[in-house]
Amino acid sequence: MKTLSQLTDFYYKELYPQLQDLDKRRKEIRFKIVLTSAFTLLIFAIILAFITKAYGFSFDLLFIGGALVSILFPLLYKFYTKEYTKTFKNRIITPLIQELSQRLSYTTSAYIPESVFMQSEIFQRPDRYRGNDYIKGIIDGVSLQFSDIHAEKKVKDSKGRTSWKTLFKGLYIVSDFHKEFHGHTMVLPDSAEKLFGNFLGQFLQSKNFTKNQLVKMDNSAFEKEFVVYATDQIEARYILSHTLMQKILELRNKTQHPLSIAFVANKVHIAIHYNKDLLEPTLFRSLLEYKTAMEYIKTLIVSVGIIHELKLNEKLWSKK
Amino acid sequence: MSISLLVTIGVVIVLVLMYNSLVGKKNQVENIFASVDTMLKKRYDLIPNLVASVSKYMEHEKSLLSELTKLRAQANKPNVSDTQKIELDAKMSAALGSLMIAVEAYPDLKANENVMHLQRSLNEVEEQISAARRAYNQAVTDYNNAIEMIPTNIMAQLMRYRRKEVFEIPQNERKNVNVKELFQ
Repeated sequence: MKTLSQLTDFYYKELYPQLQDLDKRRKEIRFKIVLTSAFTLLIFAIILAFITKAYGFSFDLLFIGGALVSILFPLLYKFYTKEYTKTFKNRIITPLIQELSQRLSYTTSAYIPESVFMQSEIFQRPDRYRGNDYIKGIIDGVSLQFSDIHAEKKVKDSKGRTSWKTLFKGLYIVSDFHKEFHGHTMVLPDSAEKLFGNFLGQFLQSKNFTKNQLVKMDNSAFEKEFVVYATDQIEARYILSHTLMQKILELRNKTQHPLSIAFVANKVHIAIHYNKDLLEPTLFRSLLEYKTAMEYIKTLIVSVGIIHELKLNEKLWSKK
Repeated sequence: MSISLLVTIGVVIVLVLMYNSLVGKKNQVENIFASVDTMLKKRYDLIPNLVASVSKYMEHEKSLLSELTKLRAQANKPNVSDTQKIELDAKMSAALGSLMIAVEAYPDLKANENVMHLQRSLNEVEEQISAARRAYNQAVTDYNNAIEMIPTNIMAQLMRYRRKEVFEIPQNERKNVNVKELFQ
């Protein structure tokens, strides 16, 4: 597996001609979008002026206009960037992944199946489940797969209006785990203890009837950041050794986003709540910018690097 | 309904809840200790085989090997109390740790398939014991807190519940040095 600096070199050296070409297209598309938006706004303003003159001003008009823009703009964006996105993934992301490791395969439109996602039991069953950028492979003998996932639940308010609530949006990683176990152990971001403090927080967590037993861990920094539920107190500690707890904390600091982890059926499921679609081309920032490059490279390095970070490749001898 | 009756009912409910929570905590400690015990037994079962396999090679470590055998014999005696089991476990861990370091000096041992297999099993059992010890310590801490904190301490005194001892987690275990690393 390549390192961060090796991959950065590859991005700027090998992919440079492609990037330059794509960046030219990016500017054209950006120009088109800005122009179309300005034009639409102008037409809207003219219509608004006419209607106001004829019938008087109404806030409803502004509301309708706003609704139209919020529907039209994403469609417009998608329409203009479709080809650009496809080319970007074929010519930049695909070689980047190949360079990272030859043993990885990449499919832009596929994603982690919902059945696998549901196995973790971290989230409720979603009503709408989408994803892309599916990467799969074997690193150091450990099988790994990950993709972008957006899982949503349909909610109805008191007036009967439906809207979509995001259950999870971010990177979903599934990998082999190096220890054998039979139960279910879940590590979730700790909101109760942060909100109510140690004592009351733990009390509330232990009264959570939808989850398994609360497991109090003997690492205070870990316990502050996460809450653990498991079917078996001993097994949870067998899985979450002191080293692994430390590694999970480091991963949390590295990603700077909340983490939910489940250990089930000899696999580890890691959900990183990035809250955005990753590995997408930028439109309003140059592809050649260091920050942009780092975003793609770091996403890949963090996901694939999890095997080394969490030492999933160091199998216990009995599991050989 | 008179107020005094309501208060009495309230007090009775609180007392029942306190009683049940204490019994629950005591049983949790006992349950987990039973698992710890099972795993400790698993480790003791590996000892005779290990001693037999390495004794041919380890001429200078005879006292260490006899110490292991002695500890195992003590643990297998009937009527060993929980406190004694905890003490024996600490001694056993220390003795096994020394043995693993001593093995370093014998290259022949590393080539022996049987010894390697035993080390693998031992490593696995050690990890399980470590997890069980940590689970036990947490259950004991919860139990000890309950019998010392107001208001459950009064009830605990009436029930004659006593503080329980926790396992000393060896310093090297905190750092998670595993047996495997010692052989590399």
